[in-house]
Parts: sequence; C-alpha cells; structure tokens
Amino acid sequence: MLSTPLDNQRHFKHRACRITLGEPDLGLNLAVADYINEKQGGSPREAAIVVVNLINSPDSHVAVFALNLLDVLVKNCGYPFHLQISRKEFLNELVKRFPERPPARYSRTQRLILTAIEEWNQTICKTSKYKEDLGFIRDMHRLLTYKGYIFPEIKQEDLSVLNPSDNLKSLSEIQKEEGLAQAAKLQELVRRGRPSDLKEANKLMKIMAGFKDDNLVESKAKVAEDLDKLKRKADIFSEMLQASERSGTLDTSDETLVELYSSLKVAQPKIQNLITEESDDEVAVQDLLKINDIVNSLVEKYNFLKNGELESASKVQVANSGSGVKESLNLIDFDDEATSGAPESSGNAVEDLLSDLGGLSFSNNNDPFGAGGEISLLGSPQATGSHKTQDSSTSPNYDIFNQLSNSGTPTPTPASTTTTVQSGSAFDLLGGAFSTSSPQPVQQFHEPAPKTSRSFINESQHLKTEIEVHRETQDTVKAIVYFSNIQSSSISNLQFLIAVPKSLTLNLEPQTGSFIASFSKDAVHQAFKITHPTNNSQLKIKWKVNYVVNGQDVEETNTYTLPHV
Amino acid sequence: MLGLDSAGKTTILYKLKLNQIKTTGPTVGFNVETFQYKNIRFNMWDVGGQDRLRPLWRHYYPKTNALIYVIDSCDTKRLEESKQHLYKILKELDNIDTAKDYLLLIFANKQDLTNSMSPKEINDYLDLKNNLRKNQLFAVIGANALTGQGLIEGLSWISNNFKPVQ
Repeated sequence: MLSTPLDNQRHFKHRACRITLGEPDLGLNLAVADYINEKQGGSPREAAIVVVNLINSPDSHVAVFALNLLDVLVKNCGYPFHLQISRKEFLNELVKRFPERPPARYSRTQRLILTAIEEWNQTICKTSKYKEDLGFIRDMHRLLTYKGYIFPEIKQEDLSVLNPSDNLKSLSEIQKEEGLAQAAKLQELVRRGRPSDLKEANKLMKIMAGFKDDNLVESKAKVAEDLDKLKRKADIFSEMLQASERSGTLDTSDETLVELYSSLKVAQPKIQNLITEESDDEVAVQDLLKINDIVNSLVEKYNFLKNGELESASKVQVANSGSGVKESLNLIDFDDEATSGAPESSGNAVEDLLSDLGGLSFSNNNDPFGAGGEISLLGSPQATGSHKTQDSSTSPNYDIFNQLSNSGTPTPTPASTTTTVQSGSAFDLLGGAFSTSSPQPVQQFHEPAPKTSRSFINESQHLKTEIEVHRETQDTVKAIVYFSNIQSSSISNLQFLIAVPKSLTLNLEPQTGSFIASFSKDAVHQAFKITHPTNNSQLKIKWKVNYVVNGQDVEETNTYTLPHV
Repeated sequence: MLGLDSAGKTTILYKLKLNQIKTTGPTVGFNVETFQYKNIRFNMWDVGGQDRLRPLWRHYYPKTNALIYVIDSCDTKRLEESKQHLYKILKELDNIDTAKDYLLLIFANKQDLTNSMSPKEINDYLDLKNNLRKNQLFAVIGANALTGQGLIEGLSWISNNFKPVQ
C-alpha cells in the first residue's frame, strides 16, 4: 500500500483531513508509521515537519490528533524519527504557542506537548543507544522547567514502550537497526551541511562502508552481552524451578517467574538464528548449543511443573549455564584441592584440620614461613621447565602446603618476605616443620629458587590475582596467572579474559578451573604466552575476571603492564 | 557528481575549484566544494565511487539540481557496469521529492588517452534518449580533467539550462 512515491505530502494532508472528521485513528496512524519506516530517506523529516505544523493548527481538535500521531511515530519509527524530533527547529516549533510565562491553566494541547517532552526526556534521552544525538530535547526540557512549566507525571507503562527491549537480538538484527540509524544520521548530516557535520558525515561514511569495522565488533559485543544476560536469567529461572519442584507447586502468578519464562521463550528462535549466523565459529556454536539446550530443557521443565507432572519435571536435567569454563580440567589437575575445597560449607572437617595445622606451625614460626612458601614454593614447579622431571606425587603435597600457608596465617607483608629469603635458618626451620608430615617438599626447599618473579595484578575484597612471568625465547614470554580466594565464601564461575594489543600474539591455555573454595590459595591458574615482535617493548594486557560470590556477579577489570623479564 | 571509482570525479572537482591537478587516491567518503560560475553558485558534491560506497550514494540525492555522472571513456570493460549504475541512480532519484527537475550531465572523461571512446560512442552506448522521461534534459560531453577541456562547457550547459525553483 501507499507505494506511489510522490504522494507523501498528499498522504499527510489526507491524514489531516481525516483528523478534522473523526476520532484518533490508531490504524491509520500506524499505517503512516509503516510508510515512513518503509520509505526512510527524507520521509521522517517531512513527517515531523507536517505533524508539528498540524500541532500548531488553530483548531485544537486537529492539534490533539496531530499529537496523537506524533506519539505513534515516536514509538514506532525509531531513531530516524527521534533524530528529527530532537532538531532544534522542530522543538522550537513544537512549543511555539507556549507563552513566556506559564499560564494559570494549561490548554489540552499544551498539556499533551509537555507530556510528550517529559516522556522523551525520561526515556530515549536516557536509554537510547544514540542519546548523545538527542541533546536538544534535554535542553528544551530544561528551558521549560526554568521558565516555570511543570511537567505531568508519566505512567510507568508508557515509559517502557520507549525504552529498549531486553530481548535477545541476533547479529543481523542489530546490524540492520544500526544501519538504519546510521543512514538516517548520514542523511541528516549531509542536509545540515555545516563543516562539522560534513566532517562527521565523512567519518560515518567510512564506518558505514565497512572501512572501519568498529561496527561489527560493537554488534558482536552486544550479542555477547545479551547472551550473558540470558544465561543469568536461565540460572535464576532454573533455581526458581528447583525450589518449586521441592515444594511441589508452581506459582504461576509469580510475575518474575512468568517474565523469565517468556523471555526464555522469546530467546529460543533467536538462539537458532545466532547459531546459523555464527556457524563458522565453532567455539561460539558450542556455547550457543549449550545455552540452547539449557533454555529448551528449562522451558520443558516449566511446562511439566505447570501441569503438575512433577515426575516428568524431575527427569529434565538442566546443566549449569553460568560459565563456559571446562570444569573437567579442574578435576584432573587439582584432584586434591577439589576434594578438600569443593564442598560449599566451610565447616568441612578436612579443611578445619588443615587450618588447625596451619595455625600450629605457622604462628609459631611467625610470618616468615608463609612468606617463604610464597616465594620459593609457588614459583617453582609450573613456571620453569627445569623442574618438570620431579616426581609427580609431590604436587598434591604442594597443594596441601599452599592451603596451609594461606588458611593458617594472614598474608605476609613484603618486608618480611625479603628477610626470610636471606636467612638460611628460616629455611631449615621450615624444612624441619614439614619433614614430619611430608618429606618430599623439603627437597624442593633446598634447591635454589628459580628465577621467576611473582607480581601482583589486583586484589579485591574477594579475589587476589597474581602473575608470574618468564621469558621463554627471544620474543616469547610465558606467564601464569594465579587466583586466590581471600575471604570465607567460595568463588564460583570464575572466568578470566585477556586482550593484548594487535601487534602481539596471545596464546591462551585453558583455565584450570572455575571454582575456588574459601581461603584457598592459587586454586586456579591460567597460563598464556605472548609473542611480540620487538624485544624491548612493554607488554600491556587488558584483563577481566568474572565470578560469582555469595550469589552475586562480580566483575573486575583493568590493564596491566607485564614486568620486564 | 557520481560515477564508478577512478573515473576522475575528484580530479574534476579540484580542477574546477582550484584550477589545479590534485593527485588524489580513491575517495573514501566524499568531498564538497562551492564555487561561482557565471550567474550560478555551484555546491558540488563528489562522492566516492568504490563499490562499497555506492549503496551510500542515495543519501546525497535530496535537493539535487544537477547530476554529473563521470565515466572513464577508456574503461570499456566496466562501461556496462557504469551504465547499470547510472540507470539505478536515475530510478532512485525519481523517488526523491526534493530532487525534481534535475539536469543530467555526463562527462565522458579521459578523452586525452588514445584508446578512449568518443562522447558520441558513449552516448550511443548509454542510449539515454530512449530511456529517459520525456522532458528530462541531458548532455554527454567529452572531457579531460587534466587540461580542463570540456569542463567549462559542461558547467555552461548546466547554467544555461538551470531553472531556479520558484
């Protein structure tokens, strides 16, 4: 319909005629919106001009209907139209009939205009992805407030329409949306034609033509973020379902539950789309398939529970979606740790025993012991190749030792560290203390400490992150990042990410685990290699670590410059 | 001013603006210059012609008074491609309310090269006469952006035929 190209103006006039006749016609208003969405180009601008002229019509009936149409267009035509209503000229026209001082009583038209501006100010000016382009709306709002105009209160449900939806979008959908917004902006910039606009237009053109791929990177980041949100939702939903499984009833009047269900349901086809889009990226597909399975089984489970089929529901197994880390590795490498540290309750018998032991040996020898352990013990085995030949049975002992040193004593200060290393007697003492329980590590102690230094990356209230770096070849640096839990709750779903500048190559080995029991030291580590072309360049990484502690998601991120080795 | 990449659009623009030969690389984005010729002030947009930029041409259509389409007269291999794009633009321009009654000027550029097609050959190949709206004015003019030959002739044609909007 409405496809003849030249009748845009006529179409709106036609609309205007109708206005004087009947009631606000939502169907017709939506048709206008569809028409603009389909045609794009100059049509949002033309529409905005026609509508604002109608709003200023002396016939208040027409004005009210025009405002009605404006509302529909703002809500249905997206950024291309938002860009037009945020133009200074448009806003000035919109309030053309407002007196310098607010009248004692607002007319109906004025009230509707104030409502519209307030609504925009609370929604698109705050939540739109392109809110920086909408500054004049904010300015107009401020100006009116300053002049003494009072804005009516807006109902929450009216606001939600204009806020971005939380639903999962596929990459192509995001890009299409982005493309439309960029096209609208380019056209507007070209039309304005001021030097600064032209400069921006040129820049935007480069981006749109794909000479810069910021776009794609950004869209991908958005997809990843949305997926993350979905995972969290799935986790909460899963927990709620488990709870109702235990109680045997499902409360379908629970809004949160129903909302979570519907957002999972909506996500189902989108995940399918994403899988097709990402089909060349195997890792991503694996991850997506996993989420897909989880969502499917959760939806199934919900439906069983809703129908009271408890037995069928309990048969539906739902995997944990929280992290993409391979937990199997954890079991292989840290067998001993896992058994002593894995149970959630910190009142575990083994652990208590360990900390008792720690208290005994450490407090007597004072801090130096823990400090010595930190330097020589933890540095040696993984970081340098020369120790690889050692008896494999020693490593479990190490781990116990680590646990001891950490859970028993407070973290030693660096000052005491240096003193210990220098005094040989302290070492002997340590050896003596340990030889009773496990003789093998003692051997280790008397070997000269290998030349790897451990540096400190970050310490939050939950997690301590440290790094060991050593040079492998002329242009390769190998590093291991260690994670220690420094408080009494366990840390789960630990995920560590690193990025390096483009000139460097990063090689990541799998993270050894994703769970750290309370107060366990170096329970998880992550090795990586950086290959860099020039020798003396500073190696900078950007890191990010996510984990869950006490049921809360925590994220830490920063940049870090590797020590020179 | 539109046309395939390396047809000579940017060279033409700066020859007209500065009377200089600016050696340019491919235009990524666009250039715009204003200059006066006779009674008319030209606001000339030169939009990059690489294939990735072509879908963006349409954003420059509104308020077009004249379309200058530049063709590399030696590039016989891509002449068909160039023709296709010209017809596409003309069709799209018909849908733009603010680009009514535009003039169409074709520069058959690079006439200095020995193997170039003549303006007449280009004109015959494009076959505009049989494909345009009845009242559409157009001209195919041979040009050499390096010497400026033909450029002034083209501008004269535009200024002689341009009717300011009432």
